[in-house]
Amino acid sequence: MFSIYKKELQSLFYTPFAYAIAALFMFLFTNTFNNSIGSMDSSVFRFAFSDIFYNVIFYFIFLIPIMTMRTFADERKFGTEVLLMTSPVSVFKIVMGKYLANITVFLFMIAGSLLYPIVTAMNGEVVMGQLLCAYIGFFFWGAMFIALGMLVSSFTENSIIAAIIGEIIMFAFLFLDDFSQTDFIGQFPTLQKVLYSFAAQPRFSYFSQGLIRLSDIVFFISAIIVFLAWNYINIERRRWKRG
Amino acid sequence: MVTIENLTKFYGSNRAVNNISFTINDNEILGFLGPNGAGKSTTMNMIAGYLPMSDGTVTICGTDITKDPVKAKQNIGYLPEIPPVYPDMRVREYLSFCAGLKRVPFGQRKKEIERVMDLLRITDVQTKLIKNLSKGYKQRVGFAQALLGNPKFLILDEPTVGLDPNQVVEVRNIIADLKKEHSVIFSSHILSEVSAVCDRVVIINKGNIKAIDTIENLEKNLGGNMLLHIKLKGDRSKASSAIELTDGVAEITKINDEGNGFFEYIIKTSGDADQVRTEIMAALMRNGVQINEFFTEKPDLEAVFMQLVNSTSNKSGMQQLYEEIMAENPEVPAEDDNAAENTDTNSDKEGDE
Repeated sequence: MFSIYKKELQSLFYTPFAYAIAALFMFLFTNTFNNSIGSMDSSVFRFAFSDIFYNVIFYFIFLIPIMTMRTFADERKFGTEVLLMTSPVSVFKIVMGKYLANITVFLFMIAGSLLYPIVTAMNGEVVMGQLLCAYIGFFFWGAMFIALGMLVSSFTENSIIAAIIGEIIMFAFLFLDDFSQTDFIGQFPTLQKVLYSFAAQPRFSYFSQGLIRLSDIVFFISAIIVFLAWNYINIERRRWKRG
Repeated sequence: MVTIENLTKFYGSNRAVNNISFTINDNEILGFLGPNGAGKSTTMNMIAGYLPMSDGTVTICGTDITKDPVKAKQNIGYLPEIPPVYPDMRVREYLSFCAGLKRVPFGQRKKEIERVMDLLRITDVQTKLIKNLSKGYKQRVGFAQALLGNPKFLILDEPTVGLDPNQVVEVRNIIADLKKEHSVIFSSHILSEVSAVCDRVVIINKGNIKAIDTIENLEKNLGGNMLLHIKLKGDRSKASSAIELTDGVAEITKINDEGNGFFEYIIKTSGDADQVRTEIMAALMRNGVQINEFFTEKPDLEAVFMQLVNSTSNKSGMQQLYEEIMAENPEVPAEDDNAAENTDTNSDKEGDE
């Protein structure tokens, strides 16, 4: 498992991939931060780091699929899947190795954003509890979407298709809570309740308010487990179906 | 020792590999021969544990590959048809990744990587990106990967495709050397290659085994009749009648007058060529004919191959398979009988399509 993890990290860090994604993330984060800080005096606007995350999440949806699009699609494309599948490594370990590597890049990405709270803390005051919660929430959010992006990648050989489809699904997740609030869905309260409970956005907003709720953590972790398990099943299924 | 029993693969309703069984002994090189689309790669993928089989078992060094895949795969080195290399990695990096994947103990990795790089002569490209390598080098990097960790059983799917003639010879020598420590199955559609390296061959077409035998036996049993060349000096009519009267001589195809009383006879035999040869010699001696040269021309291996592949009844091949199965488990003759019949009807059906 470790060698797959290492190899995935290499393939992300030896190429400009991880850096480009991290740079883009930093750009989005910085831009939102500057805008927020710039408009502090002029309005009743209350500035909080968690708001930045909330805003960034929309753009963030473009970043995660780009990061995960190659995980399985490229293995198929280059025929290296055969190597992995005929090595004494179980499929579970292959999936986990790749997942952990992507999580590491994700952590590398958000680690850069720590710069702003640190600088702010030196010159002012930061509500640490809320900040920490926002980061935890953001981490769970990302971890879930990485699992989803990997799952999408395991369905295709074409990494671009994987990225695009991944984005569509993530957008669907993002808009699920707006959709469930519409009048139309409001006619069916049970359906509304079900749809709303699948929406990840409101759950993240609890984190960004500084609330760690067990139900939210359970939601994210079970979503991760479901996606990874599906990923595992899908790889096995493709082996069986191949021909 | 690797045992393959009743291996079958369906792609949808299409039977790609049909109930094949054979064994690969220790320290043996088994050639796996067949035209394109015969089911070679499918079979090899199944043996390597990449494709699941529809039916049958593959046992590698005593471990069933479907029951304990991780343990079974530790004994396998596999070079697929397309070398499984990452274009964005450097050769050494790639090999080090593969060594980790194959659980080569950390302390031995460096030594092991150097050993395989040395063996395949890729040491001078170790810092290059794989995507910049030529096809031949990529193939060799893939080969090196298969040798990492010194697995007991090697599966090589057309290892010499895309190599230049020098490299082909090199790779063949490497394969021949591997015999000392490994059992090898390697596929090819080039006959000369197989006959140069292999101890035994399995010939397969349309998913059916056409023959399992040593090259010599194949030539003898299936290559039709051997040609005997005799150069002799003496009375021509006496010699001719002596030869013609010998049992097992089908016909004298040609008599060349070579001058100075020398004649060259080319004789087609039927039956055991060795036996016929002895008898002809004896007959000629009795008649006082002086023999100057005597050799047996082996039938063209290519012809053997074509004959086997194109035979629709595949009687001889099936017969051998049947005998081999019988020898291994004689207690189930009825089932095997059916299997043989099924295979026959199936191949007929495929022929109709």
